Amino acid sequence: MILGRVVGSVWGGKEAASLGVSKLVLVSPVKFAPDGKPIEVAADGPDSPLTAGLKIAIDQLGAGVGEYVLIGHGSRIRDLTVGATLPTKDVLLAIVDSCYVDPALFPDAEVQP
Amino acid sequence: MILGRIVGTVWATRKNPKLEDLKLAIVRPYFWYDPSHDVDHLIAVDQVGAQVGQDVLVCVGAPGRWVAGDYRCPIEASIMAIIDEVRIASESLSDGTPRFALRESFKPTTLQWTRGRT
Repeated sequence: MILGRVVGSVWGGKEAASLGVSKLVLVSPVKFAPDGKPIEVAADGPDSPLTAGLKIAIDQLGAGVGEYVLIGHGSRIRDLTVGATLPTKDVLLAIVDSCYVDPALFPDAEVQP
Repeated sequence: MILGRIVGTVWATRKNPKLEDLKLAIVRPYFWYDPSHDVDHLIAVDQVGAQVGQDVLVCVGAPGRWVAGDYRCPIEASIMAIIDEVRIASESLSDGTPRFALRESFKPTTLQWTRGRT
């Protein structure tokens, strides 16, 4: 489960029958800046290679653009929430009211995977 | 299981009904062994009442779901323990630098280097 921010919606004219009327949202995962503020991983614009980090998640909660959300990943998470028949692996689990990160505990922003 | 530090908390009221009454914590892992996302944090369900700033043991995957009391909760990671002390033997050091990616700026506060067998 990771934090993300809803940056848009996706509509399909023709889609797999099992998708049905599911709402799809475009979610950008967030990182935390040294001051503890969340920043979008894919915040550099549409031409950035970072937009490859965007996720398309099934939304059953009605999240709006700009809201921070909790997204779960994986087939088990999907089976337990939206059902095993939906062809997706990213599911929106919660809409975040607020999050707090202590900057002192988060000394640098770069990732060392 | 991975070692991480709780760096923050998340509050959410609109959420999947199976996630009700669960405490969510933002964990920054000290080492990723299988990063599935391009991010530097993960959200874990706190099972032990850990505080922000503490080193914790995070269980990723199905066992983390089982300890939530209901294996049908859509949980990816659970905090299983609060770390009192981490000891890494000096044999795991080559020329004084760890062979794994342990950063000087971000290492367990409970870490102790030991020499010889412990």
